[in-house]
Amino acid sequence: MHAALGRSSETAEGLAAPSLPASPEPALDVPTPVPLEAGGATTWAPVRRAVFARTRPSRKTNVVVRLDTRTPEDTANIVVVLGRARDAAGRVWLHVRLPVLPNDRTGWVPRDALGGYGVVHTRLVVDLEQLTATLLRGRRPVFQARIGVGKPAWPTPKGQFYIRNRLTTYASSFYGPLAFGTSARSPTLTDWPDGGFIGIHGTSQPELLPGRVSHGCIRMRNEDILELGRRMPIGTPVTIR
Amino acid sequence: MLIYRVLWTSSCTNLYFAIQRCLLMPDDLRLDVFDSAALSEPGLNESRGTFLRRAFAGGGAILAGGAVIAGLPRSADSAPSPAQDAEILNLALLLEYMESAFFTEASFSGKLTGELLEFAQIVRGHERAHVEFLRSALGTKARKEPKFDFGDATKDPKAFTSAAVRLQDLIVAAYNGQATNLTTGALESAAKIVSVEARHAGWIRAIAQENPAPDATDTPKTAAQVTAAVNRTNFVSSD
Amino acid sequence: MQGDLTLQELDRDGAIHEAFDGVNSRASFLRNAVIGSGALLGVLAAPRESDAASPSDNAILNFALTLEYLQAAFYTETERAHAIGAELARVPRQLGSVERAHVFALRKVLGRAAVKRPSFDFKGVTEDQVKFLKTAVAFEDLGAAAYKGQATRVDSPALLAAAVAIHSVEARHAAWMRYLAGFTPAGRAFDEPKKELEVRRIVASTHFIAARPRTTRRRKPRFTG
Repeated sequence: MHAALGRSSETAEGLAAPSLPASPEPALDVPTPVPLEAGGATTWAPVRRAVFARTRPSRKTNVVVRLDTRTPEDTANIVVVLGRARDAAGRVWLHVRLPVLPNDRTGWVPRDALGGYGVVHTRLVVDLEQLTATLLRGRRPVFQARIGVGKPAWPTPKGQFYIRNRLTTYASSFYGPLAFGTSARSPTLTDWPDGGFIGIHGTSQPELLPGRVSHGCIRMRNEDILELGRRMPIGTPVTIR
Repeated sequence: MLIYRVLWTSSCTNLYFAIQRCLLMPDDLRLDVFDSAALSEPGLNESRGTFLRRAFAGGGAILAGGAVIAGLPRSADSAPSPAQDAEILNLALLLEYMESAFFTEASFSGKLTGELLEFAQIVRGHERAHVEFLRSALGTKARKEPKFDFGDATKDPKAFTSAAVRLQDLIVAAYNGQATNLTTGALESAAKIVSVEARHAGWIRAIAQENPAPDATDTPKTAAQVTAAVNRTNFVSSD
Repeated sequence: MQGDLTLQELDRDGAIHEAFDGVNSRASFLRNAVIGSGALLGVLAAPRESDAASPSDNAILNFALTLEYLQAAFYTETERAHAIGAELARVPRQLGSVERAHVFALRKVLGRAAVKRPSFDFKGVTEDQVKFLKTAVAFEDLGAAAYKGQATRVDSPALLAAAVAIHSVEARHAAWMRYLAGFTPAGRAFDEPKKELEVRRIVASTHFIAARPRTTRRRKPRFTG
């Protein structure tokens, strides 16, 4: 736009740069911004206070069940979150999967009844015909095992469930080294102590697998349950079909 | 001073953040860190951070306790020192002069309205404060203010916006590029300034409907790159 | 290239928690720390020293990592909740992707010395547009102030170079969030630093860092079998 006037500190192109060192290479190697993985995420949350789960997002609708803060195994009770809505007063309600009989039910609870969200990217698919349990991460199978499921008199229920807790370090070879509790309940063993919940666990009788051999639980060989235990976090949704 | 206090309630606890909407004058600054006598006596005011960075620069190994056991520092004019601080602050002062003049001229041009005008008016005040601070810190070593010719960048809203984005991004990169060259005391003050310049950058980009923060890190510029960028603006008409 | 999280560990109780939600399909599982708000004021379990940094720089890196975990988790949860209106939806997406990048970089340089990701409870703030925006303002202002508070304490020039390059991005974010929330993006000519203790106190006062729910027990199952 205009010529730079000549002065001793200037070059023909403009001002002269002071002689200063360049910065060192930064100690942090920051990648380009990281988007979230699309799809395949399941959200769960602990039950912070005992609350009635209702049929719709409003205090004025029927109660489905009372949710407690603890499970019969004395772990924090959790629910899987399926969606959210606001009531007329603008309060947030969450649509959650419930660990109740009859199986595969959902209900609505106020947001403040639940704690902080956890997110998982795994899914467990239990196939009662093929007698397999397959863990997927996104769409990718990362683990599979042959399983034992319920005898006809005590069937493993079909539907959508989730992993609720994890038990370890107990002295019982019947359940193997590790047991997962699910939100699924036996439809027939309704008098079973602690609610008749369906578990996923090891076994002292691997020779029975695969087969219809249990009271409803999903059994696998001990090395398989340990492998699953390294890969499957709490809150993982479980489809039993 | 307006304070907005935000209350969250949950059934168990009350949480709040105080968020200030302040139209404060700049804080009083401790100018004793930049006592002009100290600037001419290398070694005074050298803090642990500066000492260690000189040692790192020289490749010396550090024992617990901070003694350098081997290696000499690089030559005196490349490790942090009060003399080098003065060179750096003068480079910063050039940029602050330019911004101060730019926003002053633009805000009084009568050609800006609405949020662009508000931006120019507020930023004008900040840049003037930065100029005063740097001049005070440099004392007799402060460079003189050049003459500027901003062309239509202070007279046309679109040209103003584009120049403002460019200048703010440049000044952030300039301060960031010198951070490791500064002594600890100068770094402390530079950080307070670059923080505000980065806010300006985010703000004008938001007004311009550009991404306020397109990258995960702000790439620094060397003194040579900064000077070349200043020259490319053609805003400096005489020094 | 994205830093891959290669650490894979079981926590004390044998449970597994993801480092972060869904950053890439090969993300590994990491321990979650159990951090109550009171513990923040004291010393977090001292991490092992990384090879790369002085003990003091290590502590600064881990302090930065804690704040970046907090911000990343906040924006990630907000993005997933889809409760923020259409024109603001890009905010958690963009800020989250940047804060996640910061977490990656800090974890990578710290290696085994990295503090574990805490558990969070954002108590519905991520599901309410007004609360979200005000909290984002507070987080970004706080992050910028925290970096300023540490800049003069850093020993390594390379770490200082990295820190200032992140600090100015946090300040840009702060201005942007204030702009969206209707506050002045830059209220003063000089931004003050905040020291670590004050930053931790502020974070603790939110109660956003929560104890991880105990979903694991050492006891015998009573499932149907």
